[in-house]
Amino acid sequence: MMDTIMHVSHLKKKYQTLEVLKDVSFDVKKGEIFGILGMNGAGKTTILECLEGFLKYDEGQIEIHGQIGIQLQSSALPAYMKVKEAMKLFSKWKHAQLDEDIVKALGIQEIADQTYRELSTGQQRRLHLALALMGHPDLLFLDEPTAGLDVAGRRALHENIIQCQKQGMTIVLTSHDMNEVESLCDRIGILRQGKMAFIGTVEELAKQLGRYYYIKVNSQEGEKVYTTQHIQQTLMQICQDYQKQNLDILDMTVNRGTLEQHFLEVARRNEI
Amino acid sequence: MKALGYGIYLQWKMDIRSRSLLITCYLVPLLFFLMMGSVFTSIMPESQETLMASMTVMGVSMGAYIGLPPSIAEIYGTDIKKMYMANHIPEYFAVLSLFLSAFIHLMMMSGLIYILSPLLFDATCPIHPVLYFVMLILFVLVSLSIACILGLAVHNQAKLTMVSQIIFLPSIILSGIMFPVSLLPSFLETIGKLCPATWGYLLLIEQPIQLSNVYILCMILIVALVICYALLRSIRSSFRHLP
Repeated sequence: MMDTIMHVSHLKKKYQTLEVLKDVSFDVKKGEIFGILGMNGAGKTTILECLEGFLKYDEGQIEIHGQIGIQLQSSALPAYMKVKEAMKLFSKWKHAQLDEDIVKALGIQEIADQTYRELSTGQQRRLHLALALMGHPDLLFLDEPTAGLDVAGRRALHENIIQCQKQGMTIVLTSHDMNEVESLCDRIGILRQGKMAFIGTVEELAKQLGRYYYIKVNSQEGEKVYTTQHIQQTLMQICQDYQKQNLDILDMTVNRGTLEQHFLEVARRNEI
Repeated sequence: MKALGYGIYLQWKMDIRSRSLLITCYLVPLLFFLMMGSVFTSIMPESQETLMASMTVMGVSMGAYIGLPPSIAEIYGTDIKKMYMANHIPEYFAVLSLFLSAFIHLMMMSGLIYILSPLLFDATCPIHPVLYFVMLILFVLVSLSIACILGLAVHNQAKLTMVSQIIFLPSIILSGIMFPVSLLPSFLETIGKLCPATWGYLLLIEQPIQLSNVYILCMILIVALVICYALLRSIRSSFRHLP
């Protein structure tokens, strides 16, 4: 049985009169990757900054058992600091070294002699992750870890994150990329209007929403997506409709819905 | 302590790499010194007596007020501050390392003026070199602590440039390093007394040293350090760190 590494209960946060977090409660289990999802302005960064200790919250309680590492959404280093100098400076302040295999996996050696201003966005993100991993934290916070990265950089960083989990780290991340969350996270929490609208696995989310099927149909008129709980009836109905309109079905796919589709459904509904 | 020591050494190296502090701490003050040294000493031979002190005060004021604040604002006004805090680097580290690194640069620049003045322009050397350098250290510390207030309080680079100039220009014009303050209207002379450069210049040229001038600089230093501490505390209080 997994232990709880972080317990958040009845968290509330207001910016003047705007209530951003309204009674948020959830647990994060040891060793899991927990994703926090939400539309823009749902309070993802606010909740993460409260957890990281960067923001004072008004009410509630946060319990964290263990050391934390933080990779911020927007962070920077002095322009003329070299990568190896940053690694040395941070290791001296943290009284910790970075494992050699992580240094290798993140490709830090290849950029060691470059100054921060010479690094690409991907290289900067890798360096930020390396600095956050220094000292082997028990709980790692990643705020939009792959924002602004190309496909290769994103894939490499995903591998690094999975590697961290294999080494026993617990990871809490926020992301806009649903594919990323679906492939990386063991459980997700969906924030809607300052409250956790859902907490659980992607499968549990699909189950909770009802057994929905998503039917994508391509014809000369373009692509159409149908949502249904009754697959057989709907398929027959679609075929009849296309026949009546004298349209050829060029391609048809049926699936149980992606996280993105489920997420939009949750965001659309008031209750699930 | 080792981390702080490495941080100061690293900052010193980055200052040289970045060139901006190199320009404000060495290039411009030394070029100004060479130019003014040749002009002043040829048209006013009596300026040889004050050349070393006046050019040092000018160089220190420029390096401190123009050079240091942007480097501080670059850290405390951007995400670098958050990055440091997230990685357990104390909030005072950046300003302290920049302060000490700039102190080393300004002392080196002042040392160069001390060596070159008599060699190039036959300038008068201080009777008590040790005392001269003790007073110089006090003046550099005061100037840098005021520069720290600017960098910690004003994070917008455009505004900071303006504020730095507001402090720097009276320091040069009203402190007596370019012409005697007795030539100024009395209200400008009074404004000049608010500038540490006025008291620093007096300490570097006066023989014997007036203790009252030392006290004034010490008082400015204490007040400036208290303000820096308060500004750092307000930065610190905006973060609630987890245990």
